[in-house]
Amino acid sequence: MEENKKRYSRRHFLQDMIFGGAGIIVLGSFGVSIITDEKKQVIKAIAVDFDKCTGCRTCETACAASNHKVKINGEWVDGLGNPFYSNINVHHFNPDVDIPSTCALCPDAPCIDACPVAPDLRTGRKALYRDEELLTIKNDKERCIGCTQCAQACENLRGGVIRPNDKTKKPERICTLCNGNPQCVKYCPYGALDYIEMPNDRDLTNLAPKEIAQRLIKKYYNIDITEAEL
Amino acid sequence: MKPNGYFGKLLEVNLSTGEINKKQIPEDDLKNFIGGRGLGMKILWDKLSGPGVDPLSPENPICYMPGPFSGFPIPSASRTCIVTKSPRTSPVNSEYKHASTMSYSNIGGFWGPELRFAGYDGLVVTGKADKPVYIKIEDDKVEIKDALKYWGMGTDQFDVDFYDELKDHKFETCYIGPAGENLVPMSSIIHTAARAAGRGGTGCVMGSKNLKAIAVKGTKQPNVAQHKEYLKLLENIRQTFMEEDEDVKSWRYGGTANALTSSSKNGTQAVKNYSEGAFKEIQEIGTEANRKKVWKRDFACFACQLSCKKSGIAKGSYAVMVHDGPEYETGTMLGANLAISDLAGLHKLIVVADDYGIDIISLGNTLGFLMEAHERGLIDKEYLDGINLTWGNVEAALEMIHKICKKEGIGDKACRGVKYMAEQIGNQSSNFAIHVKGHELAAWNVPVDNEWWSVCYATSNRGACHLNGGTPKAQDEMVLNDSLGACSFAAQWYKDEVSYANFLSAITGIKWNEEELRKAGTRIFTLEKMFNYREGFEKEDDHIPEKFFRNEFSYGEHKGAIVERTDFKQYMNEYYKKRNWDIETSRPTNEVLKDLNLEFTIS
Repeated sequence: MEENKKRYSRRHFLQDMIFGGAGIIVLGSFGVSIITDEKKQVIKAIAVDFDKCTGCRTCETACAASNHKVKINGEWVDGLGNPFYSNINVHHFNPDVDIPSTCALCPDAPCIDACPVAPDLRTGRKALYRDEELLTIKNDKERCIGCTQCAQACENLRGGVIRPNDKTKKPERICTLCNGNPQCVKYCPYGALDYIEMPNDRDLTNLAPKEIAQRLIKKYYNIDITEAEL
Repeated sequence: MKPNGYFGKLLEVNLSTGEINKKQIPEDDLKNFIGGRGLGMKILWDKLSGPGVDPLSPENPICYMPGPFSGFPIPSASRTCIVTKSPRTSPVNSEYKHASTMSYSNIGGFWGPELRFAGYDGLVVTGKADKPVYIKIEDDKVEIKDALKYWGMGTDQFDVDFYDELKDHKFETCYIGPAGENLVPMSSIIHTAARAAGRGGTGCVMGSKNLKAIAVKGTKQPNVAQHKEYLKLLENIRQTFMEEDEDVKSWRYGGTANALTSSSKNGTQAVKNYSEGAFKEIQEIGTEANRKKVWKRDFACFACQLSCKKSGIAKGSYAVMVHDGPEYETGTMLGANLAISDLAGLHKLIVVADDYGIDIISLGNTLGFLMEAHERGLIDKEYLDGINLTWGNVEAALEMIHKICKKEGIGDKACRGVKYMAEQIGNQSSNFAIHVKGHELAAWNVPVDNEWWSVCYATSNRGACHLNGGTPKAQDEMVLNDSLGACSFAAQWYKDEVSYANFLSAITGIKWNEEELRKAGTRIFTLEKMFNYREGFEKEDDHIPEKFFRNEFSYGEHKGAIVERTDFKQYMNEYYKKRNWDIETSRPTNEVLKDLNLEFTIS
């Protein structure tokens, strides 16, 4: 963990392009080079333009509605969008900034690293694994033992988006990309979310909402604030 | 039994006894009074033993009411209406010492939706805690907790520090500042450090209960009767906004501050204690100036597409972090109305007032009144504790705000508003005390468009209110917005297929049409009126300030504008006729009351 903190501090920032899922801050313009996973596949994920986000939480409701469908007269349709069940979460801070935070599909996926379940001999998958199709992180509920290591790894090293289920302790709130048509992006009224190929930078890592908030408060209001003060 | 669109559940907290109850709301009340302001009014009526209850006594309930739209991502339906008996108003004559109107004030943001996520259609607080407390709600778990260490803390600091204790930013909080704690009658309730239930003294009632704050977080949502129909409506209304017409762009660009310049041009702005309708220096504090010099970010309430809240940094005579503003009201009442055009100075005044948690409309009105009294020589500097309260003087206004919120010296009197101050000063100063029923007017001036504004202010049930509407129809529609949890700024987009009636029908499964919905609005407005009538408010209380009959605008396009007494009388008679209220007393007739299922108000 200590090593990770050092990595963060080495990072330099481009002023305006602040990305994020849970807050990847990117240097350089779009698409100079692209993030890939271990198998060199291009990762597409949710990027946030914090300049445009107004904190309205429409994304949360769209996400929850799409990922928690209900059966009405035999047909599966969107749910009512209770934001508690959303995979994207908007964090409010004072001084006023809002940080939408969601799984960034980290190329090095510390959550998968942390999963102690032995890889399946046939598929090579741990309980937590990267899906081949959209490169999202998925959990095999059958094999998951509910140890919460993945959530802790995300909390300590990245944005802290994974939450263990209250009862089963199995990981939840991991972005599904809505089968390639992310509803948060579709319904964001302000065009603050985008589904794009993530630009590559060696230091590119998912940050915790508080850390992003700190930087944005400095940027917008020129106020220095410590994480503890938020 | 959980009715569709609601939980049917009211959370009741008695701070005297510590009792916490979850009470079933009668289904008839949901149908007749809908939610928000309407259901709050019905609860207020039921809870009070009768007229004349001291609004600052433990008996007075304070109701925090979201509506049936709250907690669904219906765009711009985030509002919570706070309903209680007013500590601000008083009638000309009444047999009751503590006679006052009902009061309501609503607040946007995220608090109301969150109360619904916790599983309640409303929260009612009665009693009085023996020391400062806050209420913490987490779904079914409700606790009354010690808030002693926060007593005296400004709203901005509290907004931050409270989370150290809550340990989870997912709690939504509303709270009072030092003004409410000090029982300044014109105190507000604040959410997110700037959003305010500003009017009608709701913060004072909260303070009288030793209640600093309410934190709420939840995981639930009500059922919807016609799920697919609701989804279709939601998709359509979202598309309507997405088209980004000019009005949407305009809201996002300037919020209500856009009206600062347009209202000044139209002669409808409160300037120098309502002496003029236009402010020559309005450009200094308008949208463009703020976009250029202050605003950095736009913010929206829950699922809102208009993002009218602005934040930034003001620099110049003062350096302040701005959470919100100026809006039309705050910019006019602490700007144009006081002839203040120093932008950073204006921001400083707004920020300090929000930090104390005081109604900026009544505050700005009171400062304007004192400035005029001072200018006219009815009071001197000594009377004002040495403060040189003159037009445009930011520093003096600031000193006076501190005194008012702390109730120090002159502030102890001034905090009660212009009606009280005029009684103290005498010398016919009541001629320029700009209030109705003791509640100060807002930033829209009366003489131009005077039919609308006269009726709007004279007949509003919380005392002078700019959002009341100038016709019975407009008033009933405003009541509905406040009862559904909807924001009136977005009401224009909810028409035809995506009407409020259709949304409410889909959610509740009860078939609502425009006519029935209008009738519900009339019912609620009339119940409010009957509450006031029972307290002793009659026709003579439905007045407008004397100044509008005596003062002509001295410059601008609307030079000479004034209200004719005969016109005013005619407007009111027509209004009572349209309402089918008694022209002599203003009482709604029994015929009306029976037609509206308000028989229980006939004594």
